[in-house]
Amino acid sequence: MEMIKDVLIGLWESSGFYALFADGTFLWQNLVMILVSFVLLYFAIAKKCEPLLLVPIAFGILLANLPGAGLMDDPTGIMDTSNLVEGAHWYDSGVLRLIYAGVKSSIFPCLIFLGIGCMTDFGPLLSNPVSLLLGAAAQLGIYVAFVVAILVGFDPKEAASIAIIGGADGPTAIFLAGKLAGHLLGPIAVAAYSYMALIPFIQPPIMKLLTTEKERKVEMKQLRKVSKVEKIIFPVVVLVICAFILPDVAPLLGFLMLGNLFKECGVVDRLSDTAQNALMNIVTIMLGLTVGATTNGQTFLEVKTLLIVALGLFAFAFSTVGGLLLGKLLYLITGGKVNPLIGAAGVSAVPMAARVAQNEGRKYNPANFLLMHAMGPNVAGVIGSAVAAGFLLAMFGN
Amino acid sequence: MLFTSDYSIKMPIGEALLRSALGITTVISILAVIALLILLVSKIIRGIEAKAAGQKAAKAEAAPAAAAPAGIPMPAGMNQGELELVNTDEKTAAVIMAIVSDKSGIPLNRLSFRSIKLMEDKK
Repeated sequence: MEMIKDVLIGLWESSGFYALFADGTFLWQNLVMILVSFVLLYFAIAKKCEPLLLVPIAFGILLANLPGAGLMDDPTGIMDTSNLVEGAHWYDSGVLRLIYAGVKSSIFPCLIFLGIGCMTDFGPLLSNPVSLLLGAAAQLGIYVAFVVAILVGFDPKEAASIAIIGGADGPTAIFLAGKLAGHLLGPIAVAAYSYMALIPFIQPPIMKLLTTEKERKVEMKQLRKVSKVEKIIFPVVVLVICAFILPDVAPLLGFLMLGNLFKECGVVDRLSDTAQNALMNIVTIMLGLTVGATTNGQTFLEVKTLLIVALGLFAFAFSTVGGLLLGKLLYLITGGKVNPLIGAAGVSAVPMAARVAQNEGRKYNPANFLLMHAMGPNVAGVIGSAVAAGFLLAMFGN
Repeated sequence: MLFTSDYSIKMPIGEALLRSALGITTVISILAVIALLILLVSKIIRGIEAKAAGQKAAKAEAAPAAAAPAGIPMPAGMNQGELELVNTDEKTAAVIMAIVSDKSGIPLNRLSFRSIKLMEDKK
């Protein structure tokens, strides 16, 4: 009888219900985060909102907040030395903590960039190099948000990590936050991916506000055909220039351009296929799951998280403004040959931002096809946000 | 632990503004340099390609006419037949036939067009 009682007590004490009240405090935050994960799963599955990312992220949130499950435990202090356990080995760490090493070490963001490179056609950018300036101007939000974050009270490393949300590039945001402010990685990644999914709602009002109907109706002339040689030379040249000026940008741009070279050189189709399909899918699972797992209730549910989310939106909006303003300037300089809407596509969410520019353009002129013109600034934005991240890393990385 | 920022390292707002201005200038400058390089490289490549194309054309002109590719011969027992054009000019008809051939992957001399008719707009 005594043995049965001991077993039952042991079972109770090892259960999640018991862990929920561990040390006399009720871990209500974990329950809230579990509910949040349910809501996100609903949006991903029922509403199909970015399901490829949202399902693993939401499930990661669920797994990390299960009381007592310890999937993110770090007894050996691989990344967090606050809960060291004497005599513990690395393999005693929670399974998600071990996978998270891929985020912390920048392996996952770089591999995602490899896949993106394989899927990106830089043709529209090569046929209209001015697109690069639009991609650069659309990084304005990063630097405006940086100043505001400093004003709000974040330290420079945190402010830089939050500001990069304005680049609208998930892997870049994770890369920079992982290097500068790992403790903010969860809210930054969640905010970055959320805003990327919400582009069709965030950008159109700003586009409408900053452009006239006449500007939105502008039809752009067809782009020139780009030769294969140009497409092969481009990734190598861009990498060499950027990495020589800002060596910190080499990991991200290096993988991006390697992927693009796989695609364009035409002699490694198998590698290109693996990088953009199988590898990309595997890394997306790992990245999504572990990014979600960083949102532990006790530390995620704070006022600062709301501040980060608000600053992210601010950064994103100002990046759109930057692209649109340069678009308007080019409209004036070229005598009305450039539709300013393509400037908004300079935020690097590919190809969502280009699609938004196309849809907005067609609303005012059904004969307008801006998609290929918007793809130029859009892919330039990927390079721009990586360069912006490299600059911030060079400033605050040491 | 999350949110354990070191607020002792605060940055004066003037410095933040300066670094921001430097940041956006750096991004624009680097991307502008890349844009200029793209223009330069594409000009060089297009020049080389145009030269190569010119040489190829000159060679082709010099070669005997018999060397021109003959295409796939029409199957025996078939003739070209007649094509009826309804409200369609010959140029448009030629374009349509070329597109059909290209999209279907069937050489033009293996396709038979009976008629090409301009449909009325029902709007």
